[in-house]
Amino acid sequence: MAGLPRRIIKETQRLMAEPVAGITAIPDEQNARYFHVVVAGPSQSPYEGGLFKLELFLPEEYPMSAPKVRFMTKIYHPNIDKLGRICLDILKDKWSPALQIRTVLLSIQALLSAPNPDDPLDNSVAEHWKTNEKSAIDQARQWTQLHARANNVNSH
Amino acid sequence: MGNCFKSSNNDDISLLRGNDSHDSALEPTPFVEPPPPYRTQPELQNRMPIYHPSPGVSRTATQLTEDEQIKIAQRLGLINHLPTGKYDGTNRKAKECVICMNEFCFGEQLRFLPCLHTYHKECIDDWLMRSFTCPSCMEPVDAALLTTYQTS
Repeated sequence: MAGLPRRIIKETQRLMAEPVAGITAIPDEQNARYFHVVVAGPSQSPYEGGLFKLELFLPEEYPMSAPKVRFMTKIYHPNIDKLGRICLDILKDKWSPALQIRTVLLSIQALLSAPNPDDPLDNSVAEHWKTNEKSAIDQARQWTQLHARANNVNSH
Repeated sequence: MGNCFKSSNNDDISLLRGNDSHDSALEPTPFVEPPPPYRTQPELQNRMPIYHPSPGVSRTATQLTEDEQIKIAQRLGLINHLPTGKYDGTNRKAKECVICMNEFCFGEQLRFLPCLHTYHKECIDDWLMRSFTCPSCMEPVDAALLTTYQTS
């Protein structure tokens, strides 16, 4: 805990006191900069009914640099690659120290509702999305059933 | 002083003592033992400022290229053109610095951006050295200032 900036403590307390709907973020017992995150698939999206595990790490430079976030649960999404890396501008060049863990997780939740195949991270998924959206959404729904079922989350 | 990131040492100490931010300004600076002579060099290196010529790049002054040094010098000059002041409680709109998430305390050094967003001087200067944008509205801090400075 030594050297943990006050802002991180405040953000953690606020996340616990007023959690975001559909998202849990729990700091690791060993490392207060590492959060175990679970995002519920938004309703009306192919991820509905799924619980997606993510890891979020606040680098030494935070909030001058963005948190590092990665999906641990497999997900079929044009902006998320096989390793779980996320293509989201606020995690890269559009980061601002006025953003917080809360806003980052909300943006990721929004990305699940609105995949953007024009700015792909996984080209084959994005191609699938652009050429046959219905089939891609079906596949995303299948992957949700296969990998993100509620009872799978704790078994990883 | 503000509980910003450059003063993380002060931050740790006040946290250990369980004080809130209002007291930390009154506290004497923690006593630092003068390093024995043979430790002078490493100690100095640890305290060397780190620069960020572009996002994600961290270097000490000696590691900067000439172009990067010019860029940093220009940026420092631009930042110094932005008004500063001490928090006197009259800034009704902003009570908290969104960068460190601490409330402004009387007497703390603030910096005012042209978009009227206000931050602790220490917090915003650290950010402006990386990106010359306002964290809250994402506007370039002052394009006009930049052009006049570079052409003069």
